[in-house]
Amino acid sequence: MENQTRFDLNAAIESWRQELAAQPNLASDDRRELETHLRDAIAGFQQRGLNDEESFWLARRRVGQPQQLGEEFVKADPAKAWRERIFWISFGIIVFLLLTQILSFAVGIVLYYLFPGLHELYVNSGYWPTNAVVLIIGIALARGWFAQSMKLMWFLKNRFHLVSLVVILDLLLSLAQTEFARESFLLHGHHPSVVTWEWTPWLENVLHFLLGYLARIFAPVVFLVLFFPAQNQKVLKRS
Amino acid sequence: MLTKDLMAASSKPLLLSILAGGESYGYEIIQKVRELSGGQIEWSDGMLYPVLHRLERDGLIDSEWKEADTGRERKYYFISSDGRKALKTERQQWLAVHNTLSKLWKIKPVSI
Repeated sequence: MENQTRFDLNAAIESWRQELAAQPNLASDDRRELETHLRDAIAGFQQRGLNDEESFWLARRRVGQPQQLGEEFVKADPAKAWRERIFWISFGIIVFLLLTQILSFAVGIVLYYLFPGLHELYVNSGYWPTNAVVLIIGIALARGWFAQSMKLMWFLKNRFHLVSLVVILDLLLSLAQTEFARESFLLHGHHPSVVTWEWTPWLENVLHFLLGYLARIFAPVVFLVLFFPAQNQKVLKRS
Repeated sequence: MLTKDLMAASSKPLLLSILAGGESYGYEIIQKVRELSGGQIEWSDGMLYPVLHRLERDGLIDSEWKEADTGRERKYYFISSDGRKALKTERQQWLAVHNTLSKLWKIKPVSI
């Protein structure tokens, strides 16, 4: 009984989960599946009258060592690890571009109406304050700093939701940046944060072009990676 | 206990047969195999998934995340029409082996 009060099952599962996350060959879907298996196994042992700690360790042993799991999964589908990597790299680039654009757009409008002086400073700086914020958030997410609160983001659990959301945001942003939107009620015809697009020197124009259109180039890459079938079929079955 | 080779060879017909009887998820599948084989076939839990994923890639089974009655989500697997065809072939082959051995060992054969 003493152990039961001292042993924190959720903390143990969480640390197991992190161990699993450190395996580059395990896709998030694989990890999620293994976690449901671990939880089922724990529940099974608990039903047989074992305490939390015993159940956890037995279930953990049964599921297998995280490193071994990673090796087995990659053997079953070596191309998958690379598809995963390419997916997340492309996804990261697109989301970075998208968020920096949305943020600079929004912050630009707010500053323009509330602090016109700051607005000019912000635009001349090349929007770096918002870019830096997005970069920091991105690094934090990649390092898993928000791992706990990420559970709340249901759409992260389904890759299709995730990609759809990004594509929709991307399309909306593209629409917001068209001539039509600039001339329409949204921006009252001439808004500096839009006008600067035409006034910037050529180097900045090139950068804008690359950043703006790279997202649209990367989007098909993401879909390719998502739906590209694995080539490797000759796999030794392991028991 | 089965040998490694036999374990690997039998995983496909076993999985397809279980899923032909209705959708299921990893933990349940392992429990079922353990139970049906009387403990003779002990699959290691983590190794089951690569096999399931390979069958899915081959189009023999499909999968879907679904919420169970307990509120917890699980990845359910179910057999596809290609899977049923593959199971038919597997069945014929395994019964051929079974019947040949049965004759040699003078056990009553099973009709295909």
